[in-house]
Amino acid sequence: MTMKIMIMKNILDRNQNKAGEVRAFLDERKVMMVNIISSPGAGKTTLLERTCEALAGKVRIAVIEGDVTTDRDAQRLKKYNIPIVAINTEGGCHLDSHSISKALVHFDLDSVDLIFVENVGNLICPSQFDLGETFKLAVVSTAEGDDKPAKYPMLFSQARAVILNKTDLLPYTNFRLDAFAADMASINPRITIFRTSAITGEGLQEWLAWLGKQLREFSAA
Amino acid sequence: MHELRIATDLVEMVEGHAADAGLQAVSRVNVSFGQFIQIVPDLFEAAFREAARDTVAAGAEINIEIIAAEMRCMNCGSPYIPSGDLKGCATCGSSEIDIVHGKELFIKSIEGE
Repeated sequence: MTMKIMIMKNILDRNQNKAGEVRAFLDERKVMMVNIISSPGAGKTTLLERTCEALAGKVRIAVIEGDVTTDRDAQRLKKYNIPIVAINTEGGCHLDSHSISKALVHFDLDSVDLIFVENVGNLICPSQFDLGETFKLAVVSTAEGDDKPAKYPMLFSQARAVILNKTDLLPYTNFRLDAFAADMASINPRITIFRTSAITGEGLQEWLAWLGKQLREFSAA
Repeated sequence: MHELRIATDLVEMVEGHAADAGLQAVSRVNVSFGQFIQIVPDLFEAAFREAARDTVAAGAEINIEIIAAEMRCMNCGSPYIPSGDLKGCATCGSSEIDIVHGKELFIKSIEGE
């Protein structure tokens, strides 16, 4: 005889529960984790390179690299002599909290202040999977167009900050800074916006100063 | 392709509940997905079939209910249905908007014997 079993549970509970464990684990060890989400090619890895250079000797950084098929991003960061774990998602479009939990085992967390997670390049799926991060950072580039906040509100409504990268290309695009800022304000009035060029260095000081403030507030909490 | 990841988690949950209830085979799985979760039903069905292979849910039918987005303004309390994008409240213009429905990703029930 056919039976019907009522369940009513969130399918993401498994990911969410693990993310909660990861967050508590990192809080206890005073390690801040930033989940960086962007489209492919927005400049996540170049921004990480500039950030690692600027913070060398001041902040102990570790990186978790999510890459769909290669370890090229991890290779690019090797020169900074920081602990890196590459997670090859084998075609998967995002990282989840279980893969982060497994990656953390490879770090000596007593010697780490800040973990950057470079999520798989994608604006949709990564925003639905909590990794246990301290906050999400969105990165968009001027070459992608100014409509990204309006088209992908789930990410931008959750992110603590957004970096608008490749400002050096602004003269060659039809990107409207005012439209971008207005859409962002209507989706997430609390978000902090940085305009940077990881190539020319524009705006990087503001980003680094803000990041330093987040770190201080995190470790004081 | 977040469909496959979610389908895999779903099958694990189905297996657990089927074992608890002593089901030998699951014939139907009923789920609710919010509009904002951006699940493509056809892709999800294919992902579920794949994930359920060689499990108690192999060959089970998946019944997907899509829940339409519904927002509420946290400033004036007005409910409204968003049109196209997530701009401010249609009544007072406030940006403080709460998503009431649209983020669901629920397994409702399973059927089997």
